[in-house]
Amino acid sequence: MNGPSDFIFYAAAALTVGSAILVATLPNIIYAAVALLFAFAGVAGLYVFLSADFLAATQVLVYVGGILVLILFAVFLSNRLADVKISNPGHFHLPAAAVCLVLFGVLSYTAVSTPFAVKTAVYLPTTADIGEMLMTRYLLPFEVASVLLLAALIGAALLSRPERGTPEKADMEEGRG
Amino acid sequence: MTPIAMDTGALVRGLYCILPEMVVIGTAILVLLADLLLPEEGKKRLCHLSVAGVAAAILSALWLGPGKIEGFSGMIVHDGMGLFFTLTILAAALLTLMMATGYSEWEGTQKGEFYALILLSTSGMLFMAEGTDLMTVFLGLETLSIPIYCLVGFHRGRMRSLEGAMKYFLLGAFSSGFFLYGIALMYAAAGTTRIPVIASMMRDARLYGNPVFLAGIGLLLVGFAFKVSLVPFHMWTPDAYEGAPTLVTAFMGAAVKAAAFAALLRVVLLTFPAILPAMSGVLWVLAALTMTVGNFSALLQNNMKRMLAYSSIAHAGYILVGLTAGGVAGGQAVLFYVLVYAFMNLGAFGVIMLVAQREDDGYDIDNFAGIGFRYPVLGGLLSLFLVSLAGIPPTAGFVGKFYLFGAAVRSGYVGLAVLGVLNSAVSVYYYLRPVVSMYMAPAPEGIPVPRPPRSAFSFALCASAAAVLLLGVMPASALEFAERSVLSLLM
Repeated sequence: MNGPSDFIFYAAAALTVGSAILVATLPNIIYAAVALLFAFAGVAGLYVFLSADFLAATQVLVYVGGILVLILFAVFLSNRLADVKISNPGHFHLPAAAVCLVLFGVLSYTAVSTPFAVKTAVYLPTTADIGEMLMTRYLLPFEVASVLLLAALIGAALLSRPERGTPEKADMEEGRG
Repeated sequence: MTPIAMDTGALVRGLYCILPEMVVIGTAILVLLADLLLPEEGKKRLCHLSVAGVAAAILSALWLGPGKIEGFSGMIVHDGMGLFFTLTILAAALLTLMMATGYSEWEGTQKGEFYALILLSTSGMLFMAEGTDLMTVFLGLETLSIPIYCLVGFHRGRMRSLEGAMKYFLLGAFSSGFFLYGIALMYAAAGTTRIPVIASMMRDARLYGNPVFLAGIGLLLVGFAFKVSLVPFHMWTPDAYEGAPTLVTAFMGAAVKAAAFAALLRVVLLTFPAILPAMSGVLWVLAALTMTVGNFSALLQNNMKRMLAYSSIAHAGYILVGLTAGGVAGGQAVLFYVLVYAFMNLGAFGVIMLVAQREDDGYDIDNFAGIGFRYPVLGGLLSLFLVSLAGIPPTAGFVGKFYLFGAAVRSGYVGLAVLGVLNSAVSVYYYLRPVVSMYMAPAPEGIPVPRPPRSAFSFALCASAAAVLLLGVMPASALEFAERSVLSLLM
């Protein structure tokens, strides 16, 4: 493959990596969240190149549509919006850079030196196959995931609901313990 | 398109194979429903319901027996090792819930969500211990972790509780990321996530030296190391253990560790023999670091919960010695030690829960001064559990360590065994410090009056003590069970 499709692939890859760098470095958390949107969208584009149409659609729906909106809501609705400067400061630049460089080295070495079994992309819908797999071979993980979601739901309700019998104000105040 | 062919027989067999898990999840849902119906003063029935559910799960696991039952096209297997860990985890959950009868009354955890989260977490542990596919293991890991994050932060009014929950949650989420990345890389190399299939590919040396696969195993190991708190991935442990409600701390130390080691053992015993030269060095260093850092940090602690947190890190190191040794002897020692550790850890936390009156500063070692002669039963029980943790005969802790270090010597890791013994010697100091304080320190003016335990609480403490003594004096049958379990895995 070359020509326009190559160009689009590199554009999607550059969008993903560039926005990810912005997420890590932008000091304003709102800007970082918006940069995250482009990173997610870029990943969705990469999925399309891997002929994973279902994953690409899910990526847009769940990450761009769900998680990102959730992050923005969390920032907007958090308690101390007024008196805390919402920022995304970075600490420990040097150790973090060292760790990341080592990880980058290991991963890029493995990516380059491994003979991957490459298959030419066949652009066929995958959704039906995925659905069938979920209901047959991967039935157990699918069901365990539902238990996991139930647990997460109960836990979230437990932690966020005001306690019975105590005034709501005391909820997020620190220093009571 | 054609309808999906449902194999009813296979489905029923699969459901039969996860019977204990289903009983536990069913109990959790029942508890949530009963929480809505019961009046405020009847909430302690929820605890009884949970205890009954876990007891039923133990019975169903025993009913399934040690025979190998595979379910859900090889996603999960109920074999000897699965049974051993299922029983260990369920016993830990049962003892925790029995202690909850008293603890919930004192600390206001008498809520349906509290019990439901403990039960859901237990079900995740069971899935993790019996999962033969990395997908099942990962989902089990998440199902066990998320309720625990919430339980650590259960006392929302206490800063320590929130801090512990926050640290545990953030680091745990990162470690899950590593774990999943590792699985993805292993899948990229092997084309499957089934542990037995990967293991047979390793035997053919098809994956041997494949960099992606090695990177995957490394990242998977990092994920496990976070969960069982190996040094240098242990930073969250003291804060999470100290901040969590003590009952949850006891549960974390006993059950979470057992589940994580169950999955780690399955992966290590099946896949590592082929890449042993590379991996044994890594495990050696991790074990040595974990034991040493855990023990020496525990020396400096004045808070019982923090001390036991560092001690749990050290114990993870001891267990890792058995994993490094590998083979049947190493596996057997690991299984036995996980079982023993669950009992002594739960017992020790149970006693200090009774003595400490307040959550935060009630756990200082000075607070235990003089209670030994005043309350002989409590003092005696705590001494027994601490002596067992230190590994002094005739307790189970001694037998467990004997087999761990024995397996290491037999596999040729004499240096590691010597390091382990030296570490045990160091640990005697901090385990005996509370004992000295209880019996020899002058009692302060007002000796804290321990809480009157409920009958179920007393029973749980006595059962743990009996288990620690029995496994110490007559370990033969449990060791044999452990050996058969490991053999059933390696066959």
